Amino acid sequence: MGVLLMVAALGLVYTDSAEAQSSATPTLAPLHPTFALLDENGTSVLDSGNPVSTMQTCGSCHDTAFIQSHSFHSDAGLSSLSAPGTTGSGRDWDVSNGIFGRFNPLTYRYLSAEGDEHIDLTTAEWLMVYGPRHVGGGPATTSQYGVDLRDLAVSAENLETSIVDPQTGDLIPWDWDASGTVEMNCFLCHLDTPNNDARTEALQSGAFGWANSATLLGTGIIERVGDEWQWNEAAFGDDGKLLSDYVTVRDPSDTNCAQCHGLVHTDSQTPLVLEGCEPTQWSTITTGQIQSAQKLSNSGMNLSDKDDLSRSWDVHAERVVGCTDCHYSLNNPIYYQERDETQPDHLQFDPRRIDFGEYLQRPVHEFAKGASAQGVLAPELDNTLRRCESCHDAEGSHDWLPYAEKHFDAIACETCHIPDMRAPARQTLDWTVLSADSTPTTECRGIEGDLIVGYQPVLLPRDNGDGTSKLAPHNLITAWYWVYGDPERPVPYRDLEAAWLDGDTYHDDIIETFDANGDGQIDESELLIDNEAKEAVIAARIAALGLENPRIVGEIQPYTISHNVTHGDFAVRECATCHSDESRITTPIRLSSNTPGGVTPTFVGDTNIVPGGEIYSSEDGALYFRPNTDGTDDEPGLYILGHNSVWWIDWLGAALFAVTVVGVAVHGSLRFLMARRHGVENGHSAETHEEYMYGVYERLWHWLQTAVIFGLLFTGMVIHKPAQFGIFSFPYVVQVHNILAFLLVANAFLALFYHLASGEIKQFLPQPRGFFIGAIEQAHFYLYGIFKGEPHPYEKTRQRKMNPLQQATYFGLLNILLPLQIIVGILMWGAQRWPDIVTMAGGLPILAPVHTLISWLLATFIVMHIYLTTTGPTPTANLKAMIGGWEEVEGTEETIEGQTATD
Amino acid sequence: MKDFKYTWLIGLFGTLFLIVAPIVAFITPNAGATDDPWANVPIRVPPTSHADLMPGPYETGQEVTVACLECHEDAADQVMHTTHWTWKSEPVQLPGRDELVQIGKANQINNFCIGTQGNEPGCTRCHIGYGWEDANFDFDNKEAVDCLACHADTATYTKGLAGIPVEGVDLAAAAQSVSTPTRAQCGSCHFNGGGGNAVKHGDLDESLYYPNEEIDVHMGRFDFLCVDCHQTDDHNIKGRAISVSVDNENQVACTDCHEEGLHEDARVNAHVENVACQTCHIPEGAVRDATKMHWDWSTAGQDIEEDPHEYLKIKGSFVYERGFMPEYTWYNGTADRYILGDEIDPTQSTLINEPLGGIDDETAKLWPFKVHRANQIYDAIYNYLLQPKTVGEGGYWTDFDWDQAARLGAEATGMAYSGEYGFAPTEMYWSLSHMVAPKESALQCDDCHGENGRMNWEELGYYGDPLTWGGREQQALLNK
Repeated sequence: MGVLLMVAALGLVYTDSAEAQSSATPTLAPLHPTFALLDENGTSVLDSGNPVSTMQTCGSCHDTAFIQSHSFHSDAGLSSLSAPGTTGSGRDWDVSNGIFGRFNPLTYRYLSAEGDEHIDLTTAEWLMVYGPRHVGGGPATTSQYGVDLRDLAVSAENLETSIVDPQTGDLIPWDWDASGTVEMNCFLCHLDTPNNDARTEALQSGAFGWANSATLLGTGIIERVGDEWQWNEAAFGDDGKLLSDYVTVRDPSDTNCAQCHGLVHTDSQTPLVLEGCEPTQWSTITTGQIQSAQKLSNSGMNLSDKDDLSRSWDVHAERVVGCTDCHYSLNNPIYYQERDETQPDHLQFDPRRIDFGEYLQRPVHEFAKGASAQGVLAPELDNTLRRCESCHDAEGSHDWLPYAEKHFDAIACETCHIPDMRAPARQTLDWTVLSADSTPTTECRGIEGDLIVGYQPVLLPRDNGDGTSKLAPHNLITAWYWVYGDPERPVPYRDLEAAWLDGDTYHDDIIETFDANGDGQIDESELLIDNEAKEAVIAARIAALGLENPRIVGEIQPYTISHNVTHGDFAVRECATCHSDESRITTPIRLSSNTPGGVTPTFVGDTNIVPGGEIYSSEDGALYFRPNTDGTDDEPGLYILGHNSVWWIDWLGAALFAVTVVGVAVHGSLRFLMARRHGVENGHSAETHEEYMYGVYERLWHWLQTAVIFGLLFTGMVIHKPAQFGIFSFPYVVQVHNILAFLLVANAFLALFYHLASGEIKQFLPQPRGFFIGAIEQAHFYLYGIFKGEPHPYEKTRQRKMNPLQQATYFGLLNILLPLQIIVGILMWGAQRWPDIVTMAGGLPILAPVHTLISWLLATFIVMHIYLTTTGPTPTANLKAMIGGWEEVEGTEETIEGQTATD
Repeated sequence: MKDFKYTWLIGLFGTLFLIVAPIVAFITPNAGATDDPWANVPIRVPPTSHADLMPGPYETGQEVTVACLECHEDAADQVMHTTHWTWKSEPVQLPGRDELVQIGKANQINNFCIGTQGNEPGCTRCHIGYGWEDANFDFDNKEAVDCLACHADTATYTKGLAGIPVEGVDLAAAAQSVSTPTRAQCGSCHFNGGGGNAVKHGDLDESLYYPNEEIDVHMGRFDFLCVDCHQTDDHNIKGRAISVSVDNENQVACTDCHEEGLHEDARVNAHVENVACQTCHIPEGAVRDATKMHWDWSTAGQDIEEDPHEYLKIKGSFVYERGFMPEYTWYNGTADRYILGDEIDPTQSTLINEPLGGIDDETAKLWPFKVHRANQIYDAIYNYLLQPKTVGEGGYWTDFDWDQAARLGAEATGMAYSGEYGFAPTEMYWSLSHMVAPKESALQCDDCHGENGRMNWEELGYYGDPLTWGGREQQALLNK
């Protein structure tokens, strides 16, 4: 309604406001003026009795030629027709990227290419089969060579002017002059109540010329008398124009779009009912998307956990955002906005735009579209749609989400805001077999018996259009079918039917091969090609029809899910959904209950997703796809904290840690035993005295660092393996970890400053003179002397606290490990602040495992460090010193003093 | 110097402080509404058993009252200052009138059973007094206050004509059963207004005795009593109904307990200025028991098949509706009132209690109402609504004679009756505040906005749906 309302609005605003207010119920509709219905010659249909021509009728005011030529809905792939097999899909027989020329196993029938021996659909047949999902114009009026279909010479040799004779299978001529063609059908989208059924019937019967007129059936403008169509004079005024009551032209409503696109339910009072898995609407069958403001709990559907589902099917529908509010005409002056790339930097909004009159005359019928895996038509218009973030300011509403930008960078809004689909959707099509009513075997996901349980879409990296990608929810539809020849063509439907069925019964040899239980019937469970004998029987039958080398292929078509968005209240908010072993990110999705012909399906080639992952069979024979997070050549993969880990780093770290623990345990036990044998406490016999070893600040920074490091190790463990620490809130632990890390860095810098300023830093620097001898002596003490009760080779003094071994250890620790850990940690923290730098450093997939490894090393050091504190004159002497400052050291005070004096 | 008994404690706490303080300071709390509505719900006083305090026997209700007053000395005096007793408001100013008026059940009419005057014994069954039979009732007699009406267990006590306990009531047992009023005591009158269950209010009926949460979230999910919200001060009970109270004093409001801006969604919160809580949170009236929406007195008196929900000879024909969609209008908490004697245009619907407010009134919000429409008797010469005598001797319900009922009613009200009568359409507004739905069932955007919305925006004073046209503020800009 946007435009019409706006025009009305301007009209009202500029009238005297008092007057406007007094008109109690201003009727805004119908604003559309009355008009005459014209046939293709421009004559009133009342006079000629001919079908209405939308191009002529609507064209008397609107530039219908412009509209028709600027509409991918109409074009449907006609303008991108190319030689078979040259499209991006990878199928040998695809000739375009639209419904006119691109195969889809859901509908199976395909437009045969010139030169094909076995024809599936000619142009006229395509219009009968696919016309109901096509708005007219494009291939419905125009030859692939650009001329009017009616201007082509009628010839059975030309696939554009022939159809297959259902009796003989031969091509027979099709006269477009007699059948008429289908102009772009304005009524279908711009009337309140277009009659799509009557239109469909006309199309399927080949009465193309009347299809658009049939759309008006039921409005009172036209009637069907027997086989004839009659215009109703009572609907027209004396001037030959429609009476205003019959003019119901309007902006497309959601129900108009719904005719072809998906289940739309606008009446919140009546419960939405969808039973089983046979919706006819395209987006609903492919993904389970339902456009309705109704709450799931108020629907009439048999949903599991229904009482708890107090969310609406789609928050945008709930909030009265209609289809055309996002998928608007690209030159609609209300919505038009120049793209950032072309808009000058100094300009935010350019007020100069076409006025409504111009727009109404030439409304571009290219509609803003996003970028989906399945919507490969009109790729030049990909991402013209205003994306989530161009209307929503996510930053303002995601305060609770740590690392918001990192999340926004990696996953599409839809991933959390479409937590699951609560409707059934197609999962599998098996065209390698046909049931007795000539349909393939199908499977649906999200439904168990009569109970709709819904399903979780699989998350696949979707191209943003700029080379980067985000994880977005998808359904995967897997299909198997027979192809033949080289280059490949699917076995035409007629041939497939002939191969399987004789009328509505199976051929005898097929029954013989497939009927496992010998009841003379092929029931559902038997209708499956799961061994070579079955495959051979069907292949032979197809080959017998003249189709060479028949074989089974399988393909997976992803369908992007962008609708059925929920409010944040119902979105995924639990960190553990992704940050856990069973991460949502890598949750497998079922492809099929079995693998017909043993053929592993492959992804179709022209999607905008990069399906990294593996296809595998489960024990019961069902086929699954599990996405991975490995990334691509262009983009590093994801490292999801709490989910990803590098197994050998954890093993190596744990082993090192364990060896150290065992080592100190053995060493300690030996010391204990030897001490008892020697009868000397703690293995030392030397005289001791007390000395003030550690100043207040030294003790403070030491203990602060101790607490912080323990805190970091613990919170780090929780982040690394949250499943093992389920009681801790993941987001809090992440925050605590960051704050502790800041404390560690701050404390380290202050301590460094202290040591530099006080000169104490020299204690940490190994002195080259005598270093090695000292180190060897110290090592000898630890490995030998300590058990014998020998005195420490180095006397510890305030000025010289560290022995050479300690100096070396701390030198490495403080100059390599700790700074490295800090830098890696800061980079991980900065993953959302400076993503470019982090990406240069390898991204989280490199940084995170390094961080983990260093953590193991530091933890190992701590074990060693604590143990060595017990090697003083008494086991607790060092500890006491670090607490109180005074340490019991070997030697007498006098000697120490003397030593100091001479030093 | 070697004694570090205490210094290490200081060090420990110092270190811990250095760690804990930044964590506490910098951690982002998980945002959430901190609204605690329970803070405003009073803790119920446990009842004192009166089993031993009220030995009886009592011959009359008045004797019980005397016994009550021995301990609760001020109770009767307090009650006598409330409208539960007077059935009449303090003098109030109505728009367009020179004099203050008092409004109440005692002296004004509605479009159900119409009026009390002359019909006292029937109406005053629900008066908290004993013996209001006619205009001579002594409103200063403390002994006539009926304590049991609100405090006795309803299983032991029932009032009859003129509020006198019906025969067979064991007054001693009733007196011994007294406690804080529960839903049963309040409901015995308020659920049955208009002459039966669910007739009058549209949001008060017997389904509230034991409601599930879908009927009323306060009572059904949280087990509220009436008096938890209708809190009482010296027997003066909070809460008013637009039918008899036209001013905005002593009201109960949702915001007594709930914070105004507690919706997580800013867009929803923006509605609070313009839309009453009730509008979204009471999506439908008469959730379980159908309520009377229309009453046509003019068809009364025929001997045709009766059905209490469709036709009664004494009352005429009715339309009942369950789960009705409320009507919405601006309401600033005050109302105009039809006063007996006001002239009407019998061809137009007369508004008995028009809610005041409008789109330009900043204190007004959109409110949900049950609108009860009726066709009721009026004087065809003087063009004002009449108050017929229905109850008792000579009343319409006895003799089925409108002329006589009008004449006797006029005598009771002191109004002139021309002898010519007719039936004129009237409307009465009943604001909805009970039967609040669980939040999961509250209205959502598309219930009011968009093509299928339930609001008539133009009628409410908007140019169009404020979703696209903007709210009151933008509308005001357009009108400048």
